Amino acid sequence: MLKIYQRLWQVNWAEYWQYRANMLMYLLYWLISPIVYLAVWTSIANAKGSVNGLTANDFIAYYMTLLVVDQLTSNIIIHIFAYKVQDGSLSSELIRPAHPMLTNTFMNNLASKALNLLVFIPVWGVLWLLYQPDFSAVTALNLLIAALAMLLGFLVSFLLSAAITSLAFWTTRVYSVHEFYFAISLLFSGQFVPLQLMPQFIQTAAQFLPFQLFLYFPIQIILGKLSTAQIAQGFLSGVIWLAVAWLLFRWVWREGVKRYSAVGA
Amino acid sequence: MHIFKLLKTFLQVNIQMSLAYRADTVVNMLLNLMWLGWELLSLSIIFANTNTLGGWGPGELITLLGVFRMVNTLMSAFIWPNTEKFNASVRDGSFDYNLLMPVDSMFLVTFSRITVWRAWEMLLAIGLLVSGISISRDLISLPGFLGFLLLVISGMLIIYSLWIVLIALTFWFTKFDNNVTILQALMDAGRYPISVYPVWLRIIVTFIIPIGVATTIPVQALRGELAGPQVLLFAGVGVIGFWLASRVWRAGVKRYSGASS
Amino acid sequence: MSDDVIQVESLSKTYKVSEREAGFGAAMRSFFRRKFKDVEAVKRVSFNIQPGEIVGFLGPNGAGKTTTLKMLSGLLNPTEGRAHVLGFTPWELKPAYLRSMTLVMGQRNRLSWDIPAADSFLLNQAIYRIPDDEYKTTLKELDDLLELGPLLKKPVRNLSLGERMKCEIAAGLLHRPKVLFLDEPTIGLDITGQARIREFLREYNHRTGATILLTSHYMADVTALCERIIIIHHGQLKYDGGLANLSRRIAPFKLIGVLLAEPAAYSLAHYGTPVENEEDADKHYIQVPAGDVAGITARMLAELPIHDITIADPPIETVIERAFNE
Repeated sequence: MLKIYQRLWQVNWAEYWQYRANMLMYLLYWLISPIVYLAVWTSIANAKGSVNGLTANDFIAYYMTLLVVDQLTSNIIIHIFAYKVQDGSLSSELIRPAHPMLTNTFMNNLASKALNLLVFIPVWGVLWLLYQPDFSAVTALNLLIAALAMLLGFLVSFLLSAAITSLAFWTTRVYSVHEFYFAISLLFSGQFVPLQLMPQFIQTAAQFLPFQLFLYFPIQIILGKLSTAQIAQGFLSGVIWLAVAWLLFRWVWREGVKRYSAVGA
Repeated sequence: MHIFKLLKTFLQVNIQMSLAYRADTVVNMLLNLMWLGWELLSLSIIFANTNTLGGWGPGELITLLGVFRMVNTLMSAFIWPNTEKFNASVRDGSFDYNLLMPVDSMFLVTFSRITVWRAWEMLLAIGLLVSGISISRDLISLPGFLGFLLLVISGMLIIYSLWIVLIALTFWFTKFDNNVTILQALMDAGRYPISVYPVWLRIIVTFIIPIGVATTIPVQALRGELAGPQVLLFAGVGVIGFWLASRVWRAGVKRYSGASS
Repeated sequence: MSDDVIQVESLSKTYKVSEREAGFGAAMRSFFRRKFKDVEAVKRVSFNIQPGEIVGFLGPNGAGKTTTLKMLSGLLNPTEGRAHVLGFTPWELKPAYLRSMTLVMGQRNRLSWDIPAADSFLLNQAIYRIPDDEYKTTLKELDDLLELGPLLKKPVRNLSLGERMKCEIAAGLLHRPKVLFLDEPTIGLDITGQARIREFLREYNHRTGATILLTSHYMADVTALCERIIIIHHGQLKYDGGLANLSRRIAPFKLIGVLLAEPAAYSLAHYGTPVENEEDADKHYIQVPAGDVAGITARMLAELPIHDITIADPPIETVIERAFNE
């Protein structure tokens, strides 16, 4: 089994390596909007001294951390999987004794992540010099806990995206469904603004939704903003969501494949 | 005029195409509405925490959002779909046919694809503009408004010209098929006044990918922050940019005929 | 002669091709100092074509056929030489010229995939400024000749290759061009498809008096359509004249293909010259003088364990290559 993952890693990495120049361009997508939000909120914080207790430095530390966490927890399943269902190239993967989503697509994501990081790290270094974020509250223990939180966030995000992308078995408009999902996750994950600045009802809703696991929760751990009780609560919700996402994915996948082989592709 | 007859036919053909994908069109219009809601929500969150952003009030930011949406309509109705078509046609060689048509190739490459339903986004954008302007009407004078209109048009012309240059580069660097990614990636920076950005980002969105010139500067004119000569200067940049872009395009086409096999 | 439609005079095209070795170091070096190699695709080619002629333009792959067609249609600037088509210099791309000729390339699509061909035709009507009544009669005529009928209403992506090619050709002829440049118009089509296109071209030429210059891989296209052929090889003009004349020059060859029970055990070399044939790897082919076919076939049948035997004209590419390499 491990051998499969190792081979798939080699193949996918080699494939991405071909496109490394493109990856550099695509990295811009990831960078621009956090930097814009950072600029917006620091400008407000500078003008008023602080926003709801957050200073300009707090915002800088938040978004600089967000850039890293986003790199680690996000996935690109929709872009690499949906078309395979549509053009039928999934068929050859389905008859292999390895789960297409949990092996090939999974490793494809990891390979793209690794290559992205290779480009991202120096860029982040430059931003670090430009913004001089205050990371004094970051401790080794925080990072360790955050690493676990990010792993959890990545898995939940992966499984939810996988479930949504599997809707491609039913509809060619899966991209639109995903866009809707993406907009919601932007709002509730803390991408646009630290969640504590959101209206109360969004904050409450965010607590029950999985999206904050992708960004807000790990960021707050790294920055040392959470109490032990809050961390425990976050992990509990994370584990529950992991189970839900897993069952959801399993169910959508099974029904989807059934349909795919019934309709033929 | 022949040009208008051509445009009419292009439009007809493209309406045909979007009719072939009716359900997608409806879904896309709904998504568009969703993003508008998203943007308004984010503005309301900003203004729940402050009264001004970079010295601008809610009315001006809504106006800015309206201008941004208009530029975005230009992008999504013409620029992105035609980029896709252009890149594909250079890759498979059918661009040759474009050159052999008795119509200006830059015209063809701009209008052969039109995402017709984006007219809907244009309506939303105009709605934003009207409401933004009426919220902050105390700030606005007639000359400011006229300058605003002029600069909106010249801003779009600048972005359009930049696009022509970017895709024309394909004639020299054949493997340059993510030619517009940089334009796409920086679009997000058009939603807010560039005065809030750090200097390096301001330089990028003013001089390199002038999305800020297309969105922030017109609203500055509306607020009366720009003197008459400045307005004319920016309008001039649009015209000169367009002229330069068509020169680059022609040079690119010449290069294509000289070197292709 | 001044009534020639196409006049070509020592037309040459040299490409500059950048040379690059593999590997990162080489990539860096070539970034700073590119090495160029000149490739002469067409070398001082001259010919004239009269109104209404159908001329087959032949040569092996890479001989410079497409390059010449591209120069004549105006897509490419020549390095040297002159060409006049209908009195125009093609590469000036004058609208009046573009409206009076067409280039159809068998491997490139001009029609949009997502919409029916009829809609793309309307676009062409606008682009070429074809008056409504003329458009209608032309379309009617093309419809009759090509039997387009229901094809025009279907999205192009739903058409078969042959159906699509018919529509492509029709799209290229809506503006009633006087000169047609056709680059492999039958490529990839099945036998009936090829025949239909061929028949159409003959009829079209007959009715409109249009001048046609076409390239093709299929000998049948050429023998059916062209009284005159022009052959180029390595960019140079090798032959310009009647088809009959050429056959006499090259006819002495036939191809014998055999399917043997135990291929390894026998050598075919003493019956004729063995030839490679990629399309049919099971069979072994030899080339023999046309006059000896009967004798050699009889000998082979007697001496070899043969399952199957075929006798055919050698493919046009081989004929030309052999004829002019000797």
